[in-house]
Amino acid sequence: MAVSCHGMFDLDSCNVQPDSCALPKGAAFAFIKAVQTVNQRLLGLSEKNKTLLFEVVLLGKDCEEHIKLNIFDSAKHYGLEIDKFYFCSSDNLIGTLQANHINLFLSPDKDDVYSVLKAGVPAALLYQQAEQQAINRLKVLFSGDLIGLSADSMVCLKDRGFTDVHIQNFKAAKECLREFVVRIGEMKRMFGHEGSPLHTSLMTVWGSRDVCASALKTLRGWGLDVDEAFCLAGATCGPILALLQPHIVWDNGLHNLKGVAPLLSS
Amino acid sequence: MSDLKPNETFTTRDEVAAEKDWAVAKAFFDNLKSKKPRPPKPTNAVTVAVSSRTLFNMVEERKIWEEEGLEKYVEYQQEHENEPLKPGAAFPFVKALMTVNTRLRKLYPDSEELFDVVLMTNNHAQVGVRLINSINHYDLNIERFCMTGGKSPIGYLKAYLTNLYLSKDSDKVQEAIEAGIAAATMFNPDMEVELSETQLRVAFDGDAVLFSDESEIIVKQHGLDTFFDHEKQNENKPLAQGPLKCFLEALGKLQKKFYTQNERLNCPIRTYLVTARSAASSGARVLKTLRSWGLEIDEAVFLAGAPKGPLLQKIRPHIFFDDQMFHIEGAKQLGTISAHVPYGIGQKDHKGKLIEQPAKHS
Repeated sequence: MAVSCHGMFDLDSCNVQPDSCALPKGAAFAFIKAVQTVNQRLLGLSEKNKTLLFEVVLLGKDCEEHIKLNIFDSAKHYGLEIDKFYFCSSDNLIGTLQANHINLFLSPDKDDVYSVLKAGVPAALLYQQAEQQAINRLKVLFSGDLIGLSADSMVCLKDRGFTDVHIQNFKAAKECLREFVVRIGEMKRMFGHEGSPLHTSLMTVWGSRDVCASALKTLRGWGLDVDEAFCLAGATCGPILALLQPHIVWDNGLHNLKGVAPLLSS
Repeated sequence: MSDLKPNETFTTRDEVAAEKDWAVAKAFFDNLKSKKPRPPKPTNAVTVAVSSRTLFNMVEERKIWEEEGLEKYVEYQQEHENEPLKPGAAFPFVKALMTVNTRLRKLYPDSEELFDVVLMTNNHAQVGVRLINSINHYDLNIERFCMTGGKSPIGYLKAYLTNLYLSKDSDKVQEAIEAGIAAATMFNPDMEVELSETQLRVAFDGDAVLFSDESEIIVKQHGLDTFFDHEKQNENKPLAQGPLKCFLEALGKLQKKFYTQNERLNCPIRTYLVTARSAASSGARVLKTLRSWGLEIDEAVFLAGAPKGPLLQKIRPHIFFDDQMFHIEGAKQLGTISAHVPYGIGQKDHKGKLIEQPAKHS
């Protein structure tokens, strides 16, 4: 399973000098280390698990030459297991992802994530963790409001001012999510409930408790038993996220829809 | 910000984002076209967090977890998912809170100063489906929950701005109290007693529950006579606060909302003080302390050492808070739903810390 991440290093803050510093760590750093732990544990259980492993690919968007070199060196410096490096321009982002059969695109940039999701490539947000978290667990958070809605009930969103295009995008995003969930579920089943290096949580921010229950059952139907569940029913998610500190957030883009913002203020 | 809440600092950016989230939640909820009322915003409400074992009777399931392990427990819960659980110790209390909410909504249809019940459990998320099904079965108004899958819920209590936390696990309750959140360990009564369906009744012990344990320390170290003298001398000096003072305060604020609408005689919240102090020698200080805090209590009973059980049987509170297990046992035997507050010198493993209440902000 290939994961491409853009937020590996904090490219803005480092002074560019050819062979000096390794780049300072960005949001994806803890994530990569956690993924490596999961891989180790999977292999430790059985050699047959080779097909289940994460394969991480680093994608750099609009990088200058010397930055590219810096990236190679820094990856080696920190001992990151990165199999491939791709560099492309921002216009060609989606094309590159599709051409290389990337299963999941991760970035701290919400706009990138959303445009990739729209094109049918699975994408999720890299969460900006407050501090470098313990790296023995990979934490994934699923935003459940759309998961809990079946395809039929999504139509009711039209009354709320969401257009057909939006609803189409939601359905596409949900399909992408399903592929990812199935694979994560397979990996997770290798470990028990206790001491697992894969930690999954579900959070519904707006929906009622029935939406949350429905999301739990949907995920279970796709093969994943989440560990934690939160139903906020309108409470702010900030404090909970700060406690949870996930690595990846599968936010189906609902919060970040640019077109929706004016609708929300009504 | 309402002063019903313990201190929390939010940046303006968080507040703006929170408002946006709130608007969308409102939209979604209205859209569901259900007659169920919308949950209030946490900053304005009195938030009561209950654990799954206090809300529902999970004694059998707990045995499976203890004897056969986590995997079997989760499997069992999933198999019985569509069977609603039986009510637990906190169930009548939660139902009474909902009754008060209905009355409040009638008087103040747009106000958010209501009770908000949150299910806070470190149960695994898969058990959540059975919990939600049970909540649906009894038509309880619990919309928010937190299933931490094994992690301690204390951090989440603060995130949800909790005013009161009820659990069966005394370790968690102790952690919560140390973090400045009112909390108590619930016990099932030994017999069933009929409770009021129209009025929420909450009974408090005085020392080490509403007030600090400073006076109890004197009793334990120097005896009753010294205690009486000390209290008489310090009659006009207010006692320090105890862990449940804030909750009484929150109840008082809601009570006032009924008083201003001329509903004092018909108020659906009634508070009781049930203390082993005697009125003559040590009672005055207690009443004066409450007055100095601006708090009212509806009925104050000074037992002068007599057992609390029979009196509580008459009162029939939905919950009774006390710091001494001796009184809890007595109350339990006669059918009172009791909650133990593990604070102060009355505890076996007392750590000698005075409560630090979170700083109040204006």
